[in-house]
Amino acid sequence: MIRAWRSDALVGILPLAALVALWWGIVAAGLAPRALLPSPVAVFGRTLASVADPAFLLHAWATLSRLFAGFLVALVLGVGLGLAGATNRFVGGVLRPVVRILAPVPKIALYPAFVLSLGFGDASKIVLVVADALFPILLATYQGAARVEPKLVWSALAAGTSRRAAVWTVVLPATLPSILTGSRIGLVVACIVVFLAEMITSTDGLGYLLVRAARSFQTVEMFVPLIAISALGLALNGALAALRRRLLAGFPNED
Amino acid sequence: MTAAATRAGAALRPGLPPLLACLGLLACWQALAHLLTTGGMPDAVATFRELPAILGDQEALGDILDSLRRMALGFAIAVALSVPLGLAMGRSRLVASLVNPLLMVSYPVPKAALMPIIMLWLGVGDASKLLVIVLGASLPVIYHAYQGARAVEEKMIWSARAMGMSGASRLLRIVLPAALPEILVGCRTGIVLSLITMVTSEMIARQTGAGNILFNALDMAQYETVYAMILVIGALGIVLDVAFERARAALVGWSDEPDAIGVTAA
Repeated sequence: MIRAWRSDALVGILPLAALVALWWGIVAAGLAPRALLPSPVAVFGRTLASVADPAFLLHAWATLSRLFAGFLVALVLGVGLGLAGATNRFVGGVLRPVVRILAPVPKIALYPAFVLSLGFGDASKIVLVVADALFPILLATYQGAARVEPKLVWSALAAGTSRRAAVWTVVLPATLPSILTGSRIGLVVACIVVFLAEMITSTDGLGYLLVRAARSFQTVEMFVPLIAISALGLALNGALAALRRRLLAGFPNED
Repeated sequence: MTAAATRAGAALRPGLPPLLACLGLLACWQALAHLLTTGGMPDAVATFRELPAILGDQEALGDILDSLRRMALGFAIAVALSVPLGLAMGRSRLVASLVNPLLMVSYPVPKAALMPIIMLWLGVGDASKLLVIVLGASLPVIYHAYQGARAVEEKMIWSARAMGMSGASRLLRIVLPAALPEILVGCRTGIVLSLITMVTSEMIARQTGAGNILFNALDMAQYETVYAMILVIGALGIVLDVAFERARAALVGWSDEPDAIGVTAA
């Protein structure tokens, strides 16, 4: 099992390596002007140098803190509403059509409205992250909670557990796998959205770094925030997968 | 009998709850605008009054239609490329382990954020926006086609092979139909994503399009236009989703499908 996973990972490195090699080949052969496509050596060198640069780390921290703030609010709201919707018929009846309407609305289009009512600061960006990360978590929680074996709840009720306590002690743990799946999607979405919001209106953060580099045509600097956000997303995803293995030891793994 | 009656009742008014939700949300907006009174938030009625001004304006309407054309084309290209790739990943472990890491790396990158770099290569015109939309809409379609192809009943494939069907026609006549419900789940996410990517790409390459109108109005503090455009884009998202859901139900009504959870951001 582990060996198979390792060989998969090895095969997986190949296309990434091939892509970088192709990139390097194009630059080395002089097929593209340096100003348009800098060499991968320059890009990765600059990325490594940036990681040691305190100013860059401050920008990365600005992005990360907004991302976390928004994601945590979305997690609490999504799990709370999802559980309430699945266990209470009235809440479910209101929630389902509202979600049906709001889920396909492009949240990024709401960003101007958030800016107009909350200002250009952190609040509007965090609200945008909440609006975007909420729905995957909410839908996953709702669907997971709705699929919980009713006999489990009945047994708990028959054993004298109150309805409210049954939600916390039976439904919530049984829904945990779905919640974690939804969180994983929500986290990726949060990465994407916070970066975009910073590209539109910001004076700090990784998205701002990209816009700043684009304005002054510094091609190498344009790649750095993109590599940073990709690495950030991978790291967060890895952390969540580790958390999942810990919390759900014994559950079948999803990929 | 009661179950049948309830079902008949639900069938009579399937669109009613979402419609009520829509009205409720608009009422909330109206109330909120009057409570805040900061001036930055026009109420729902004023915004609806602004709609004819935008949709009646030849140039704005042309811009929006241009955007939609790009979106449809980008989505079509994305589906045409992603479905075969996803199916191949689902049926071949080698292909899956070759492609999966690439997808993992590209997931957290906002596709619209590639605009500044792609614009350097392809210019500010249609080509860069189209490429970004294709990239944005592809991931969920690939992922769901992959999952769908993986879940195909092996016995069906064995039977087809035993009857002498070749590899390519097995993929086309067994795997594709069996994976179709799952593929359409991915497409549903993909079509909303292509709308989102369309808006964001136009927001970054400010030249034409719906996103351009929206964010230019924000810069020029034309609040009514901002909110009217939000209404237009939001309605587009809802209409696309509903239309797609109808089409899906007509195509694969035989499989009951759980609600799609997808990555809806770009």
